[in-house]
Amino acid sequence: MKTRKFNFNIALGILFLLLFFGIGLKAPNFFKPNYLISVMLRNIMELGMIALPVTLVVITGGIDLSLGSIATLSGITGGLVYAATQSDLLAVVCAMVVGCLCGWFNSLLVTRLNIPAMVTTLATMYLFQGIARGITLGNSVYAFPAATWLGNFQIGPIPIQIIVYILFAVIFVLLLSRTYYGKYLYAIGLNRTASRFAGINTVRCENIAYIVSGIMSGFAGMIMLGRFSSMKYTAGEGMNLKVVTIIVLGGTSINGGVGTMTGTIIATMIVAVLNSGLTVLNIPIDVQTIVQGTVLLISLVAYAVIQKRNTAKGRGKTAKAGKAA
Amino acid sequence: MKKWIAILLVAVMAIGLVACAAKTTTSSTTAAASSTTAASGTTAASSAAATTSTPAATSSAAKELTIAMLPKFKGENYFDACKVGAQEAVDEIGGITFLYDGPPQNDATNQHQVDILEGWIAQGVDVIILSPNDPDAITATLKKAQDQGIKVLTYDADANDGRDFFVNQVTADGVAAGLIKGTADKLQAKGYGPDKPANIAIVSSAETDANQNSWIASMKTLLATSDYSWLKLADNAIYYPGPAEDKNQEIAATLVGSMGEGADQYQAVIGITSMATPALGAAYEAAANKPDASKVVLTGLATPNAIKDYIKNDANPLDAGVLWNCMDLGYLAVQTGYQYATGTLAKDATTITAGRLGAKDIKDGMVILGDALVFDAANVDQFNY
Amino acid sequence: MKNTKHSKKAMPSELALSLFVIIIFAVLCLVAGDFGSVNNIMSILNRFSYILIASIGMNIIMLTGNIDVSFGGIISVMAILEAFIGKTGAPIYVFMPAAMLCGALLCTFNALLITKLHIPAIVATLATTQIYAGVLPLLVEGSIYDLPKTFTWLAFDAKVFKYVPLSVILALVILAVALLMMKYSRYFKKLYAIGNNVKSARLAGIDVDKTVIVTYAIGGLVLGVAATIIATAGQRVTTTMGAGMEMTFIAAVVVGGTSVTGGSGSILGTAFGALLLSIISPALYYLGISDTWSTAVMGAIIIIAVSVGAIKGVRRKNAGAEKEEAKA
Repeated sequence: MKTRKFNFNIALGILFLLLFFGIGLKAPNFFKPNYLISVMLRNIMELGMIALPVTLVVITGGIDLSLGSIATLSGITGGLVYAATQSDLLAVVCAMVVGCLCGWFNSLLVTRLNIPAMVTTLATMYLFQGIARGITLGNSVYAFPAATWLGNFQIGPIPIQIIVYILFAVIFVLLLSRTYYGKYLYAIGLNRTASRFAGINTVRCENIAYIVSGIMSGFAGMIMLGRFSSMKYTAGEGMNLKVVTIIVLGGTSINGGVGTMTGTIIATMIVAVLNSGLTVLNIPIDVQTIVQGTVLLISLVAYAVIQKRNTAKGRGKTAKAGKAA
Repeated sequence: MKKWIAILLVAVMAIGLVACAAKTTTSSTTAAASSTTAASGTTAASSAAATTSTPAATSSAAKELTIAMLPKFKGENYFDACKVGAQEAVDEIGGITFLYDGPPQNDATNQHQVDILEGWIAQGVDVIILSPNDPDAITATLKKAQDQGIKVLTYDADANDGRDFFVNQVTADGVAAGLIKGTADKLQAKGYGPDKPANIAIVSSAETDANQNSWIASMKTLLATSDYSWLKLADNAIYYPGPAEDKNQEIAATLVGSMGEGADQYQAVIGITSMATPALGAAYEAAANKPDASKVVLTGLATPNAIKDYIKNDANPLDAGVLWNCMDLGYLAVQTGYQYATGTLAKDATTITAGRLGAKDIKDGMVILGDALVFDAANVDQFNY
Repeated sequence: MKNTKHSKKAMPSELALSLFVIIIFAVLCLVAGDFGSVNNIMSILNRFSYILIASIGMNIIMLTGNIDVSFGGIISVMAILEAFIGKTGAPIYVFMPAAMLCGALLCTFNALLITKLHIPAIVATLATTQIYAGVLPLLVEGSIYDLPKTFTWLAFDAKVFKYVPLSVILALVILAVALLMMKYSRYFKKLYAIGNNVKSARLAGIDVDKTVIVTYAIGGLVLGVAATIIATAGQRVTTTMGAGMEMTFIAAVVVGGTSVTGGSGSILGTAFGALLLSIISPALYYLGISDTWSTAVMGAIIIIAVSVGAIKGVRRKNAGAEKEEAKA
């Protein structure tokens, strides 16, 4: 299994390089370091950061559709708290607490009540966004200094979000591949009941995954608030599908049990190139959706072809093919 | 081997897609962009070329300008009409590359507009003309554009900062006067007045829309005066369905259902976006139990074509609308942008000679098109937008 | 024996849901102003009609354990297609079948990806929704507007007995057909079988691939009717008419008691789920609560409905698990 995953990541890497240079050759503006860093990378940072812990969630066989709403609610909470107390510290703490609570709520419903993750997070997506809408009465919330710093501060030419992302990326890659926790997640994704009988505390493992996703979404929400200097309750719409696209593109199976963090990271870069590259080529923003969908589809087909080949050879374990007829 | 072929296929198809799509773009890389290709390489050591990307075309000698226009959302009667006028100005002036893009109606967000703007900033366009969805959140990006020497104008709705001029169709007071006076006149014709007050409701777009908010503020001021104090606008009688079509229809249906003569009903509903007013007319047509047309009034801002059928239908209480000449607005915006970019128009000018429109006033950086125009059954056929 | 036990336990949850909805409805009529007025009921029914029709389509797909998040994108495609045809003045019985056919084709494509290429349903339809919705802005810039009167016939003029919109009649007819099929047709039994255990279904002789494809195709057909109701409500059709709607349909199905993993659930439950979701917005309006809370209320309702079902399910599962252990 390890060899196959490794090869898939290499293939993703090649795809990334091809796209990167392909777009750059057609529109040299793309290669300006200023554009690369402050647009291409920067725009994807929030999505990229959220995609890291949500990969963990997906590997356990779950999903989180509410991440956009958590980010929005956290950011808005931070803004409102600051407006009321003028305290940066309190605002940041509240934002992170909100993210943590939302993630914990998701986890409660999924692990204790056994409600399928898709349904839970679909409902909480509405709930959290609705709360954000209600407490702001539809108006925008303005950024507070800490958020602005997070969103805009640069060390030299590099925005701080990118540095933070690299840090998180390394941490998550190690977490998934080197720790027991990571192995447990794969086990849960492949067969939750068996894992439980094998002694793994599935409830605690999944709790951690959802809560970390919530916290990370909260963090990303603050960055968004800082970057755009104001935020409305609709800010997180569409983020969930984009993150799932990134994760699936990176080779993680939606049924759980298969996937790597490295794949997610490379997929993040691919989506970054597609999004920003198409804009610089003057391609209308709508075409981006088609390209993203097509790339996703083709990669899914390719992945399925590989799966078939491996099953046919009777090698190793594959993702649960049951639901896919 | 098969898996490598599969992956290669992915790559080839993705490249092919990008190449294909690139061919269908409306504008090719402009002269400005190609002049910087020599400087940039794959591993550009110096970022000097990157930060000072002001294109060569700012000198008034070269009339090769790129003007980029960004509506709140794309493809809707109102903004399309503005685009027609803008295109007219572009053709008349000549030598302009005209870019036009915008968010879709269901995702008319600030983020979407920022994404589009970032692309244009990177290409180094000369002028950006936009109608922002969020007047506050957009300022950061606008300032970034200004730092790079791009001229920034707003039209239709203003931004809080970061722009050089605001091309406004009518003053907020003008809009308010047109709407309130029209509604009051119609209500009086139907028997309401100081001894029989009327409840009115307003349908806006999103809570963050700057132009709608300024019109609402003006309307409230007008309603407080003695002439119109018999028109009652409750605090929760302002609705914000956003720009999405289905939400507008939903709120319109609910409102039409609560119209009538009673004191707890609405006697008049005013739509202040070009989405809301046609939705109100349509909701009336679709209503199963129609409120009595001789006792209620529907009106608002709309493009003439969108409500023509309702105006001509005597049974529908939507029989007049208010707007301005959208084409002229687009035309004026492009003219202002062009003249400012080529140095013909100074930053603190108080008047502009805008092509076929003649002289227009500029007050505190706001270029004003003119007065609101009312259209009803008598003159609605004269307009085709 | 297990079947009857299952259906005995399943009935109460639908009964509970239907009682819940009816009580809420009654309370609203009493407490909230004009909620019970003819106009309001009719406009609720109008919204309910297309949510119900689309949810039925989603329901049969979810019974097999699959899902389709591209419904919203497909609605947008069908709406634009109808606008194209309708702009020429063609009447509804020309453009509605065209839309239904289009829907069936697009959904069949989804089904092929799922059955022949073994791509999990949620991801396959995630990809296709981006493609379907993404193609539209290339063909049409934003919206098609100023559509002729023949286009809006369904919404404006088609009233049965002067009051009841034809769209409601259509919805009720489709509901009736679905309910009858659920009780009597073999096809439905196959759906439950596939949803419960694909492998056993196949061993039992069911052509799983064909059944799933047919299910998706029917879903697409039915969606065409819903799309027509949505598109003909006004004289303008935007390229994003249906965007995001699939979430509402999935919510209606789930609230109605259908399991996301497939194998259980009923059309009747979905009908009540759809009704519940359609009355949220008007209910808030008539209760005087600002519409800004409608999203939160919708989320809360879904959570409550699903939690109630889940708590019952946990108890049932524990009871069942004990039995299993006793056997072993």
